[in-house]
Amino acid sequence: MGLLDIVKKAAFVDILRGMSVTGTYFAVDKVTVEYPKEKLQPYPRFRGAQALLTDPATGDTKCVACMLCATMCPSQCIYIVGEQTPDGRSRPARFDLDLSRCVFCGFCEEVCPEAAIVMTQRYELATYDKSDFLLTKEKLLANQAWVHKELHRLEPNDRGEG
Amino acid sequence: MATSAPPSASVEARVEGRRPTLEELKERKARSRQRGQRTGELMTLSLGPQHPSTHGVYRAELDLDGEVIVAVRPEIGNLHRGVEKLCEHRTYHQIIPLTDRLDYLSAFAMNHGFCEAVEKLMGVEVPPRGRYIRTIAHELCRIANHIMWLGIHVMDLGTQTFFCITFRDREYILDLFEMLTGARLTHSFARIGGVAKDLPDDFDYRCRKVIDFIPKRVAEYERIIKYNRIYHKRTKGVGIFTAEDCYAWRVTGPALRAAGVARDLRKDEPYAAYDEVEFEVAVEYNADVYDRFLVRMKEIRESCKIIRQCLDRLPGGPFLARDAAHSLPLKKDVLRSAPAMIQDFYHVFHGPHAPKGEVYRAIEVPKGEMGVYIRSEGGPRPTRVRFTTPSFYHGQAVPALCEGEMIADFVAIFASVDVVLGDCDR
Ligand code: SF4
Ligand code: SF4
Repeated sequence: MGLLDIVKKAAFVDILRGMSVTGTYFAVDKVTVEYPKEKLQPYPRFRGAQALLTDPATGDTKCVACMLCATMCPSQCIYIVGEQTPDGRSRPARFDLDLSRCVFCGFCEEVCPEAAIVMTQRYELATYDKSDFLLTKEKLLANQAWVHKELHRLEPNDRGEG
Repeated sequence: MATSAPPSASVEARVEGRRPTLEELKERKARSRQRGQRTGELMTLSLGPQHPSTHGVYRAELDLDGEVIVAVRPEIGNLHRGVEKLCEHRTYHQIIPLTDRLDYLSAFAMNHGFCEAVEKLMGVEVPPRGRYIRTIAHELCRIANHIMWLGIHVMDLGTQTFFCITFRDREYILDLFEMLTGARLTHSFARIGGVAKDLPDDFDYRCRKVIDFIPKRVAEYERIIKYNRIYHKRTKGVGIFTAEDCYAWRVTGPALRAAGVARDLRKDEPYAAYDEVEFEVAVEYNADVYDRFLVRMKEIRESCKIIRQCLDRLPGGPFLARDAAHSLPLKKDVLRSAPAMIQDFYHVFHGPHAPKGEVYRAIEVPKGEMGVYIRSEGGPRPTRVRFTTPSFYHGQAVPALCEGEMIADFVAIFASVDVVLGDCDR
């Protein structure tokens, strides 16, 4: 070991070198946010809790109870009971989605042929009551408030998303 | 075994910049295993399953003689979820979210491995754009995994701040993933025949920004620990696992490359776009914990290079194969045209049709070689799926890695082979 090495070791050069990196972060802007007060905006594609979209023409949900989402869902957490309206449309009488089993894979959105079920930006899902995890048709329709406006504003035929 | 060296001999007796021979490595290994005070009395210590250094729920029963580990009895299976069995009851599409949960720290790599195997089984050709997007996502995954590994590994050795620094940087990559796939950890992004979605509009710009500063951050990590004498003392000459040992225990990935074997499936059996980009396989020769760190840092730099090349050369065209029998149709086609809608119904109610046969496909995931074996009797569901994931083999090598070493080095050695228990127990 050379003399220089001994001097370096005695002067803690290696440790100080490391500490200099840590030290510079005193002067740098912080990257954290104070979460409950300040919230981060998820990206448009974010897969949060689902919503059912309303069809402006009928005022009812766009869903036609075709069961594609319920069949595709890898965790089998969608339960649908279809019915026929007097004017010949089919629609879900019951549409329950069990969030506690959902893995947020987005397959339901991906296969829906009517673009009726979509993933929203809603990510604060913690609750004290287990029954809140059961998204009924009403709750799913209410979740539309969290739908990303840019992504789902257009009529289905214009949606460019893959 | 060379037994001439006294127990106090320096284990750092490595000549930098020169490739050691196998004999030298073996001698160093023997010397490293003579350190520590022995009392001649055995004590059994149960480490884990909730110990923070066991990276999940790994339990090891250690037989200690003084400070020296005499025997290790690993106990795995605490995180067993029966993924392989679950696969038998799902169509090939539905298995993709399951693969996310194998190695949850590099979920896309797992999706990718599975889809490569299914494509081989079904004979699906992935369009160029799909292959490039896969390469980009896979390399982002590799960077995130190695950064996370580094933070945890160094935290096991006793620093706390460093962990926060690495996690901050991993967050930028997770942001990119959120932007690209919609999820931060469980991406479910690869599809049979390509990827689920195209790159979003400003992805190119943001991704370039991130890969421009990641190498700078790596230099910063190196400034903190690469010259730190405590880190050297804890890692150099410790946990030596020569190429021979790696072959015997099927240890792959950075641990094998740190033993001087330039084995990297990205080069040896190219998939995705790896044969169209230039990169070097990171190799080091001393086969110890420190060199595994060096290999991973080199790999992060190479990954940044690969991503930059992919972004530069990103071809146009479809990102998902237009293969009606095997891949889901695009959403916009489903909304517009009847044939695509029928294809959609077919894929959901029947599933992609696979021929009879069996395939094995291995790819290089961040932790090592991940193989997927699929046996199909024809139809939409596999008869048997088997994942040979790197963590399992690395976990089983832990006794061979640690026996004879000191108890204080156990965490360093265990972390250096990068075991994630979701991947190991499946
Ligand atoms: S996101 Fe996935 S798991 Fe959740 S309801 Fe949709 S298909 Fe099912
Ligand atoms: S796939 Fe769409 S239209 Fe069909 S049942 Fe589900 S939400 Fe309704």
